[in-house]
Amino acid sequence: MKQIKWSWAVRILAGAVLGLVFSVVLVSYMVGARGPSPVVCLLCAALGGAAGVATLPFADDGKSLLLYSAAHFGVTATLFALLIAQLGARGGELLAWLVILALVYAVIWLGRWVGWYVEVMQLRTLLGLAPGPSPLKWRETLPYLAFALLLCDVLPLLLYWADHAVSVDVPVLSGLLLPYILLPVAGFSSGLSLGMRQGVCPLYPVACFLCYLPMVFLLFNYTAMFHCFMAAVPALAGNVLGWLYRRAVPKKGRGAA
Amino acid sequence: MEVEIRIEPGRQEPKAVILAGAESEELRLLADSLSKLALGPIPVSRGEERLLLPQGDFLRFYADGKGVAAQTAGETCAVPLRLYELEERLDRTRFVRISNSEIINLDRVTAVDLSLSGTICMTLDGTVKSYVSRRYMKRIKETLNLGRRKGHETD
Repeated sequence: MKQIKWSWAVRILAGAVLGLVFSVVLVSYMVGARGPSPVVCLLCAALGGAAGVATLPFADDGKSLLLYSAAHFGVTATLFALLIAQLGARGGELLAWLVILALVYAVIWLGRWVGWYVEVMQLRTLLGLAPGPSPLKWRETLPYLAFALLLCDVLPLLLYWADHAVSVDVPVLSGLLLPYILLPVAGFSSGLSLGMRQGVCPLYPVACFLCYLPMVFLLFNYTAMFHCFMAAVPALAGNVLGWLYRRAVPKKGRGAA
Repeated sequence: MEVEIRIEPGRQEPKAVILAGAESEELRLLADSLSKLALGPIPVSRGEERLLLPQGDFLRFYADGKGVAAQTAGETCAVPLRLYELEERLDRTRFVRISNSEIINLDRVTAVDLSLSGTICMTLDGTVKSYVSRRYMKRIKETLNLGRRKGHETD
């Protein structure tokens, strides 16, 4: 325990020193002012300290890992937002930087998870067990990708064409029926089916989102971005619900499923 | 190598005697690996009854309140030993500590799964779930590598 505390202290200190060096060398160059203010120096040092201990939460697992990661992200995001604000970012720009930080976090998380998965695969091999599902169940998700393409690409194109063929003022099919009924219902049903068969497949909602994204700009404009969420969020909800059903109902009861 | 097994009723732990014409490095290695094998039965309490069960019967040993419990395929018994004492008495190629509070029998692992939050779950005999602490992963892999090496040596 003492060793762990010592390790945290050393990393925070090393990170803080590097953060301070960054503030003196790079911030002055980037901002092009006389030099960083004491507040900026302090924030850079604190952010460096937080970055120094970024890998330590990953030594744990389960609940403590989630708690440590959430707390670390909270602290880092706060410090980062304060620093970016000090450097002049406001409103949308500040939010965009925070979104980038969140994406970086997600990528690190994914990288860690793949590392753990490789370890589990090694354990399975050493124990002489079957290899198990593919990482993030990408292979198990593939058969549903065809449905996602139909739902999120072919269907919008058809409905858009139908709307314009009829040439009405309000595009009822592509503007109302598609985002508010077809995408949520079909997304939820397919997610549910996948969850019941394969458990949680996080790549499926992502695939729905990404498949619909080109349609937003091809058929509509950025204001239709919410269509992506209308497909992805119900797909995620259905998938989780299907997984819960799979866990709750014994395999015999599911028989033909 | 000629191998002979003699059954001696009442003996608690097996004893190996190596007969050779002269000392050699191979003999020393053989004696070393044999002495590391812990094959003795483990004492457990089933109510008032005290008995000795062979190591292969156990699925896992885990901290249960202030004591230690042992789980076999059919029952759970109390063990009058601490986990660290058990670690010394158990076969190190078969039993491994997977967290601060649990030692499992690797021969009885039927599945290993990873959750999205990074929790590694080992299923024993298809029903009993045990959770692995990542801090012990290195030790588990070392134990499994050791077991596999021994398996290859005996092939």
